Amino acid sequence: MRRAAHTPLAVLAFALVATAAHGEVYQEPAAFITEVFGKVPPPKVLWLTKDLQAEAAAILGHAPAQLRQRYWSEGGKSVWILEETGKEEPITAGFVVADGRIDHVRVLVYRESRGQEVREGAFLKQFSNAKLAQGDALDRDIDGIVGATLSVGAMERMARLALFFDRASRR
Amino acid sequence: MSPRVLLLLFLRRWHVRIGLGAVVFFLFLAVTGVVLNHATGLGLDNRYVHAGWLARWYGISAEAPRQAFRSGRHDLIAANGRWMLDGRLSGEKLPQPLGLVELPDIVVVASSNSLYLYGKDGALIDRLERSALPAVPVQAIGADEQQLVLKTASGSFQSSDALSWRSAPRDGIAWSRPADLSAADRDRYAQLLEPGISMERILLDLHSGRFAGRYGPLVMDLVAVFLGVLSLSGAWLYFKRKHRRERH
Repeated sequence: MRRAAHTPLAVLAFALVATAAHGEVYQEPAAFITEVFGKVPPPKVLWLTKDLQAEAAAILGHAPAQLRQRYWSEGGKSVWILEETGKEEPITAGFVVADGRIDHVRVLVYRESRGQEVREGAFLKQFSNAKLAQGDALDRDIDGIVGATLSVGAMERMARLALFFDRASRR
Repeated sequence: MSPRVLLLLFLRRWHVRIGLGAVVFFLFLAVTGVVLNHATGLGLDNRYVHAGWLARWYGISAEAPRQAFRSGRHDLIAANGRWMLDGRLSGEKLPQPLGLVELPDIVVVASSNSLYLYGKDGALIDRLERSALPAVPVQAIGADEQQLVLKTASGSFQSSDALSWRSAPRDGIAWSRPADLSAADRDRYAQLLEPGISMERILLDLHSGRFAGRYGPLVMDLVAVFLGVLSLSGAWLYFKRKHRRERH
């Protein structure tokens, strides 16, 4: 009985681990930054103080994973490479913020087994020009994608966080 | 007794038998299904069960820690994708560490493709992946006069903040090297660093029957067939009785 359990579960475990380890890399973060600025400028750092941690936690619904957030900025634009878990694995996305609004968004690495539709232009276009409204919410509703609800939620949280971090970095 | 009445009695008897026989399975499916629907909200995807027997059941062979990395007052022992830094567990699905370096305000752990920066209190400050590193794979991590140094195939690089990097001198670098664990420590850390399986995955495998192995899903298929038979026989018995009442 026990031996019978091993084979399919071991295969499933391997498949899950393999998917998680590699993910789908659509664009390397460095290439995304180069695309925005024409080069990779020296990174800047936003330290998450207790207050910033609390506000970031309110946006994410959990404590931020790290206390130092790197970003790149030049000529009024800033680039934030963020990670947030959709269902089980983190999604890496790049956010370009200009004048307190999202200029554009790209999914850079997608590691979940489903929900890849969040990388489609039609979905990401909804974030263009979005800014923070009251309560650090986006000033618009983002239409969901059937079967990718958690990934859509993760993208929305990251968009809010990028705008919040951008605002905090300018204080 | 007419054949129709006999069929009715037969159906009623088996409706009750199947219902009673499968009630535990139905309740089990219902409860696991409801919990799975809210697994993310309940945080089950981030909670792990660490038990040797469970890992063996899943066919995952637990790796025993053999070495420790030490720097100053800090030590790191790793096994099964888990790290114990200064006696504190750091998370799941972590890469195999190459070394540990203590700098004035931070402790840095390197893997071949990433760096993890921790504060002295063990809080994660930053995680740098390959695109934020000067070159990969990292072959070794060391320190030189309060600078972090990475050795790669493209050369050695040093940095004080893990943000900006420049070429490092070849000499005078104290590279982090593993130290063997005693047999007693190996056993102790093997227990503390047992592989983990997420609660959501366990629930999913219980719900689908996969937890019981190759034949588990077939049992769940059978339960689904029983549920279908119960629904049809229940509906048939109900409408038959209703039809009979209306005729009288």
